[in-house]
Amino acid sequence: MNETIFQGEHLIFGNLGHLAVVLAFGTSIIATVAYFFAAKNNSEPSWKKIADLAFYVHTFCVLSIVAILFTIIHSHLFEYHYAWQHSSRDLPVQYMISCFWEGQEGSFLLWIFWQMVIGNILLRTSGKWTNPVMSIVMLSQIALTSMLIGVKIFEYKLGSSPFELLRNAMGEAPIFKRTDYLSKIVDGNGLNPLLQNYWMVIHPPTLFFGFATTIIPFAFAIASLWKRDYTGWLKPALPWALISVMVLGTGIIMGGFWAYESLSFGGYWAWDPVENASLIPWIILIAGVHVMIIYKATGNSLPIAYMLIIGTFLLVLYATFLTRSGVLGNSSVHSFTDLGMSGQLLVFLFMFIILATVLLIVRWKEIPKSDKDEEIYTREFWMLIGSLVLVISAFQIIITTSIPVINKVLGTNLAPPADVISHYNKWQMPMAIIIGVLTAVAHFLKFKKNVPQTIKKMGVYAIISIIVAVGLMFAFDIKNWFYIGLLFASVFGIIGNASLLKPFFTGKLKTGGSSIAHIGFGILLMGVLVSSANKKVISVNQTGITMFEGKDEKTQKDNAENLFLERGKPVKMGDYEISYLGDSVQWVNNYYRVHYKKLDVKTGEVKYEFDLYPNGQINPKMGLVANPDTKHYLSHDVFTFVSSVPKQKEEGKYINEKKHIVKVGDTIYTNNGFAILEKINSNIKDAGNELKNMEILIGAELKVYTLDKVYSAMPIYGVKQGSVMAFDAVVEEANLRFKFTGVDPKEGKIFIETAEKDDSGDFIIMKAIVFPWINLVWAGTIIMIIGFLFAIWKRLEEYKRSASV
Amino acid sequence: MKKIHIILIVLIAVAIGAILSSYGDASTYESFSVAAENPDKEFHVVGMLNKQKEKHYDPKVDANYFSFYLIDEKGTESKVILRGSEPQDFERSEKIVIIGKMDGDHFEASKILLKCPSKYTDNQVKGT
Repeated sequence: MNETIFQGEHLIFGNLGHLAVVLAFGTSIIATVAYFFAAKNNSEPSWKKIADLAFYVHTFCVLSIVAILFTIIHSHLFEYHYAWQHSSRDLPVQYMISCFWEGQEGSFLLWIFWQMVIGNILLRTSGKWTNPVMSIVMLSQIALTSMLIGVKIFEYKLGSSPFELLRNAMGEAPIFKRTDYLSKIVDGNGLNPLLQNYWMVIHPPTLFFGFATTIIPFAFAIASLWKRDYTGWLKPALPWALISVMVLGTGIIMGGFWAYESLSFGGYWAWDPVENASLIPWIILIAGVHVMIIYKATGNSLPIAYMLIIGTFLLVLYATFLTRSGVLGNSSVHSFTDLGMSGQLLVFLFMFIILATVLLIVRWKEIPKSDKDEEIYTREFWMLIGSLVLVISAFQIIITTSIPVINKVLGTNLAPPADVISHYNKWQMPMAIIIGVLTAVAHFLKFKKNVPQTIKKMGVYAIISIIVAVGLMFAFDIKNWFYIGLLFASVFGIIGNASLLKPFFTGKLKTGGSSIAHIGFGILLMGVLVSSANKKVISVNQTGITMFEGKDEKTQKDNAENLFLERGKPVKMGDYEISYLGDSVQWVNNYYRVHYKKLDVKTGEVKYEFDLYPNGQINPKMGLVANPDTKHYLSHDVFTFVSSVPKQKEEGKYINEKKHIVKVGDTIYTNNGFAILEKINSNIKDAGNELKNMEILIGAELKVYTLDKVYSAMPIYGVKQGSVMAFDAVVEEANLRFKFTGVDPKEGKIFIETAEKDDSGDFIIMKAIVFPWINLVWAGTIIMIIGFLFAIWKRLEEYKRSASV
Repeated sequence: MKKIHIILIVLIAVAIGAILSSYGDASTYESFSVAAENPDKEFHVVGMLNKQKEKHYDPKVDANYFSFYLIDEKGTESKVILRGSEPQDFERSEKIVIIGKMDGDHFEASKILLKCPSKYTDNQVKGT
């Protein structure tokens, strides 16, 4: 093959990038091996030196990859496939960062980056655990960096490089036969409009940091099995496990908030396989943290702690496989497309499954176990039960989420449940009830031994909670028995844990973490319950006319949620009167102004009003991408999005022309409002050129009243050389046109002709949902995170104390 | 027998329940003819839009009625009705997955998923 020189390419970046990837891969192998031998043989310091050196070079390489890729995107070097596919020239800088996680390669890079950061922290804080732990972290780094190599080895393509050239990625397209092809590629493909949102700038890094942190407790657990130190790993691993719970949880809920703020499915959680994939390891990790604490306090259940902590990381790998191998295919709206890396992902997954399982089996007999039977009236017993319920809850999600995998393995033809939400809810709700109650029960009880007074105290609070829950049941208008059970569980969780905060408020701040986190969880549960149980689609067809014939009333009701809204024509919707007032364009987005008036149910008076601007981006590649707009109130949100807009707006014609004969003070009625003739103005100044030298020139001063506003208009009547000239006055906002067409001097009356603009081509189809008390979901999450922070602080102190002894 | 063993047995029982429930609730990918034989069950049908026949959506009359003709993977055609708005970019979809059940002469869809080739990757370089 002869080398063609292509004009305008900047090959240096790609070459440097490739080099950095290969070096990062190589150094991670060296570091893994060197840390392994350093861990095996402490007396030989040279291994440790080699390992540290390799790791520092590795750190530098990873930073270089990130910097080079960003430069390529930022400088619009579209000769690179990644920049061409995921960015465009008009993209603001903050969204250029989002380009990193639109593609698989970039999101692997993000993970590699975080794991590198974690390695740097572990290297400095892990004390005697440093070598074995680093060896395991770097083993995972080998697997991750291999995903970016993009080199063919014996017909098998290892990884996919972010520095692939467009002409190589596209292969045979005729345009690449030209050496000046680059001058023909004006712009990139652009970023998916759904990612052009500020939540999408911060949600993925947080989530991936969460994913990356799960390796830390895993690495400590494996290191402890390896080095036969079965108890020493808990103290350094526990703060990390809590950090991981906090960060991963924050990342997940940010994703929910992003979905709620910018996706139009109407909610923050849809049980989509990709969402589930990150939720599952989080639940297992929470169970794991609880069992670790059980072991620390009582010496029980250590094997379970091992299984859960190891399981968490393996589930993160499984989630990676699910979302990136293309196996989810039809069942998820936002999984990545297949890059042909499923084989490599499976190797990654099974490498760690086998390593962990074999090690666990080999060491199983040596892991300390307790022979005592569990006492029922103890904290550890109920904590264990709670953790196991969490495991079951995660297991149920795994099974249904894995249906596409089951199909692949067993050759079946199953599809996800037709009604996914109710399928998950019927399992998850009872478990949430148990968990909610246990958060209070386990906290009232003490470890190991309890006195009857504690049980009595718990009973008193349970009764208080029942009373409060019944009150709230009426306040929130909740009827379903399951919901009432969940309401009680959340109230009991909140009140029970709040009653235990006394030492926190007397200054022992560190002790409060657990109670605060559980209060947050209770509030979150209550928010989820109330906002989804009483979620109300208010845009249902309320004209009372059945517009189609069908047998299944339920389907009709379920689906008749879209409202046809013509510009300027108000429609009553629930307690609201809404009207579509017009659209405006900003950057690539079309904003549709929708005016809401909240009406009093009895009197029909307007209580308050507001505007919402749901927007749509008419994307050349994806069609209408609708983003909702939401009005937030303390007690509820009003959520609106457009589900359809006319393809081409017709220019409005004027219809309903009508002649009115009026005198000063008379009223003219039209369909769009009325006008009062205030006075006849015969002294028109500032007349333009065409109005000069008129024999007669008078104007009709009109006050135009629409439903909520007043405008003025002055159509003009003139006579020039015997011929009549009429000049229109148009009130755009009211869609009205006035013409002054004649005078009747005898009666002192004038002729006004009105016309209304035909707006039938200007409409939107929208959907509106009211979410009551959704703020509890966000508030509960924030409180939970604060609780985690206190808990991390407490466990870090414990670790430091133990390390300094 | 320790309490933990009893708990484990209960746990395993619940886990089996979860598996059975997942299997029981799972829908299947079927053709129109299978859906017609079992009008009470909800199915996933994968197919392609028949572009020769007219699709119907007139929001001025009813914003919640959209109908079209789908040819399933076995080649059978059926009318499909969705009580909702027409999904954007409908015509450009390469593959359509509909979820719902057969109702006499038509398929009553509760959900439509579109598989657009352009959605995430558009491997067409447009020269100017």
